[in-house]
Amino acid sequence: MHQGTGFVAGASGGERLDDFRIASEPYFRPVANEIGLFEAAFSSRMPIMLKGPTGCGKTRFVEHMAWRLKRPLVTVSCHEDMTASDLVGRYLLDADGTVWHDGPLTLAVRSGAICYLDEIVEARQDTTVVIHSLTDDRRILPLEKKNEVLKAHPDFHLVISYNPGYQSVLKDLKESTKQRFAAIAFSYPDEAIETEIVATESGVDRKTAATLVRIGQRARNLKGHGLEEGASTRMLINAGLLAKRGIPVDEACEVALVLPITDDPDMRDALKAAVAACI
Amino acid sequence: MNENAPDRRDAVHQQALDRDAPSAFPGDRHPAWIRACRRLAGAGYGDAVTDAYIRSSPDIARATTPQAAIDLAGTVSSVAIRSGRTAAALLSETALDAAGRLGEGGFVRWVALMEYANTTAPESLTALLKAMPKLLAEIDLDGLEAWLRIGVRSAEGDAKRRLRFFTLEDPSAIRWLQRTSGQAGFADMEARLKPFLTALWGDNPPLRETPANAPEQARRRPGFDGSIVRLPSAYPGFQRTEAERLYRAAVAHIGAHLRFTRERFPLGSLRPMQIALVSLIEDARVEHLAMQDLPGLARLFQPFHTAQPTSAVNAQTLFARLSRALADPAYEDPNPWVIKAREAFLAEPDLRDQQLSRRIGNLLGNDLGQMRLQFDAKTYVVQPPYRDDNLGLWDFGDDDQQNADAEEVLSSARIRQEENEDRPDRVEPENKPDSEAGQVEIQQVEMNGVLVARYPEFDYVTGREQRDWTSVKEYLADSGPAERVARLREQRADLANRLTALIRSARVSRAERLRRQSEGDFLDIDACIDAAVARRIGEPPSPRIHGRYERRSRDLSVLLLLDASQSTSDRVRDGRQTVLDVERQAAALLSQAMAGLGDPFALAAFCSDKRDDVRYMRIKDFGQPYDGLVESRLAGLQSGFSTRLGAAMRHAGADLATQRSYRRLLLVVTDGEPSDIDVDDRHYLVEDARKAVQGLSRLAIDTFCAGLDSSADSYLSRIFGQKNAISIATVERLTDLLPKLYLTLGR
Repeated sequence: MHQGTGFVAGASGGERLDDFRIASEPYFRPVANEIGLFEAAFSSRMPIMLKGPTGCGKTRFVEHMAWRLKRPLVTVSCHEDMTASDLVGRYLLDADGTVWHDGPLTLAVRSGAICYLDEIVEARQDTTVVIHSLTDDRRILPLEKKNEVLKAHPDFHLVISYNPGYQSVLKDLKESTKQRFAAIAFSYPDEAIETEIVATESGVDRKTAATLVRIGQRARNLKGHGLEEGASTRMLINAGLLAKRGIPVDEACEVALVLPITDDPDMRDALKAAVAACI
Repeated sequence: MNENAPDRRDAVHQQALDRDAPSAFPGDRHPAWIRACRRLAGAGYGDAVTDAYIRSSPDIARATTPQAAIDLAGTVSSVAIRSGRTAAALLSETALDAAGRLGEGGFVRWVALMEYANTTAPESLTALLKAMPKLLAEIDLDGLEAWLRIGVRSAEGDAKRRLRFFTLEDPSAIRWLQRTSGQAGFADMEARLKPFLTALWGDNPPLRETPANAPEQARRRPGFDGSIVRLPSAYPGFQRTEAERLYRAAVAHIGAHLRFTRERFPLGSLRPMQIALVSLIEDARVEHLAMQDLPGLARLFQPFHTAQPTSAVNAQTLFARLSRALADPAYEDPNPWVIKAREAFLAEPDLRDQQLSRRIGNLLGNDLGQMRLQFDAKTYVVQPPYRDDNLGLWDFGDDDQQNADAEEVLSSARIRQEENEDRPDRVEPENKPDSEAGQVEIQQVEMNGVLVARYPEFDYVTGREQRDWTSVKEYLADSGPAERVARLREQRADLANRLTALIRSARVSRAERLRRQSEGDFLDIDACIDAAVARRIGEPPSPRIHGRYERRSRDLSVLLLLDASQSTSDRVRDGRQTVLDVERQAAALLSQAMAGLGDPFALAAFCSDKRDDVRYMRIKDFGQPYDGLVESRLAGLQSGFSTRLGAAMRHAGADLATQRSYRRLLLVVTDGEPSDIDVDDRHYLVEDARKAVQGLSRLAIDTFCAGLDSSADSYLSRIFGQKNAISIATVERLTDLLPKLYLTLGR
């Protein structure tokens, strides 16, 4: 067995993960009982899947929960070229020999962090199966190359997110993966709450925030009628941030919402007119 | 004509000429002009023609150039000969107007256009000249030229149809006029209005253009019923941006009705005036409700409320003023009736109560009755123009007789019956092709094709694409004896096997990156690290550390489009087979090879009988197996009609565009130049086909052509490009060459 150490190998956990701790409270406005559900699942270390459209607050929620539970948070944005070793870790070469580097998942497993795999369906299915042994009562991660079986830290918790909307049928989780998770559904909050969120996050007054939310609803009406996804809360906050800086609301919406969301000139025209109708 | 001969006209007009002509025709132009006048006078076209020219030409000379005014005399003369004296006299007068509008360069071109009309549509020239001031106000010369050519071409040589077109009796004339003038019409706006309506209201009712045969009032205003929103084909007289705003306002207003007018009002025994009033209040009510959520709509609606407090008092204007008073808070109106109505409306505690429209409407109706204002249901039009005709607000019940009055106000009551079935492409009733199909012998039993699509056609002269110019109809392919095709195929069984082998070896796909190869173009870094690690650990390293790019499979869809025009019935050299037979054989061989390999491919044939009947026969679709049925359709193909290549390629391309493969290929087999009996200009369809090929290549569809015509080189390479067309001198070689063509594309 080689003694090469990665940057956290051999560390008992905690201290080395300070960078992954969330210092101040991330703003999160609960819509229903999602905080209670998450805490309950966390207490029995049940893996959690967050489902919902883009920009509705899934990632923010995980950050908030990590802060609330005082756990470090290791986030991995999944992509289609990601291999199992990108998650687990690999040997690399240095001047003296080979060095093992823990991947982010291994890091979290070793040190008892929350591991958040964002947009997990983007990763290839053969990659995602590495989490299987972590998500049942075994709670182990075999490091094949290193000839080691890593037992998960008691605080390790796995969270994945997943947007069932825009991915095609080609990209879906395996049944065997899906069924290991408890799921919390997210959607865009209702008008009053979303107004509150937009106002708080962007700093615009409530009246402007309410207008932005109404504009957002117009764009969401078009989901499935020319738009893949409606305007997300994140987009509305972006528009609010621009408006806060003195950009007129219609222009802010064009920049933050209309132009990013579609390339179809007719669609843009319709959206611009709808934005104008809201102001 | 002796110029020195005394002329009566000279005597009559001498004074007028002396007075203003010399300033218009300086120097040597003056005698030239006098000569032109004399020639006209002497030609015996009548006084009116000469008078008009003499009166108009000095001013034309001032607006343009003396020479242009003098040259006009020649045009007047030829118009008098061909189109008649009325047209000739009118020409000079209209020319004066045109000169003022167009200036020097434009005027000369305009005169040339009139000469074109004079030669191609003499019967219509008078009508055309009468309409000219209105036309020139709406369209520029490019537009005018395009519209003239469309009129001439769409009439297909029928003088009566031409006249109907140029007198604007033919509804399509107006539609073409809108399109060439670049006005915003329904067709342009539809794609934008649909998402706008959906965005505002989350509702997705179908939008339809009001049919051209609907009553005049219904064509001027939008309307709706429970399921369909109907919009005018255009808002004539509005500038482009204005018209766009009108359409948006109309859609927003109707959306508000769909949301807030919960139930239809029972018609009961209301009089037309009351119906109009209740509708007006209801319009205001739903707009107010809509603006609570969407305050920006006020900016959309208000500019169209143009009623003035100073207008004469009659029912129509008072109604418009009331509409404005309810829509525009800043508007002040001194009329007590309007003030009262506004107060009653604003005093309502809850606008969600739909019955308030009825209450206030009835109240106002009584007042109006006492003011003894006449309300004429026949001429009443809802104002402002974005508002709908209110038909969708009322429940007519069953008693039609009693409702006759109401229908006058709600004039479009019958449209629903007149409207065409829910056709997606807004097709108007087809004109039966005239029986003058003449040259072409119709051998087939006339089977009605199904109109499936309309495509534009490119007019190289004007450089414009005429939208929806051609109609493609799909016809069921006839069945024939499948054995015949099987026999043709078996004649060349040797080729069939070689072909399968050739196609199998063709690699047409995206290059894939292959990792961990024992040899290749680049080092696979991951494999290298693994190998190094393995060595350090003391394990044997894998030698597979290279990578390379390779096309591994065939990912190609092919559509083979066969020309089945009349000329394909010609016998080829040995006299046993026709051109069509050779096409059949080549198609069968290629099909069999591709089917054996499981490649997606389709087979279709086409011919055309003028622009509104481009015939497209599907022989095999992409999903279908290649079987006896397909072969029997192939055998059943018959030669007939003409070759409108562009339209057929556009249709085939639309089919091919749905295929999700790496390359998409349209293989065209044709035996001659594109042609059709409604087109005289040899270049026209060639240029159109070229445009079609360019359009397809924008859709990432490759087009290749095999031309069975030794003299075809020139136009085939013009259409398809030098490398993408081969012309085959001996038809029999098609069978060899078609597969090769397929293989060359493979790269």
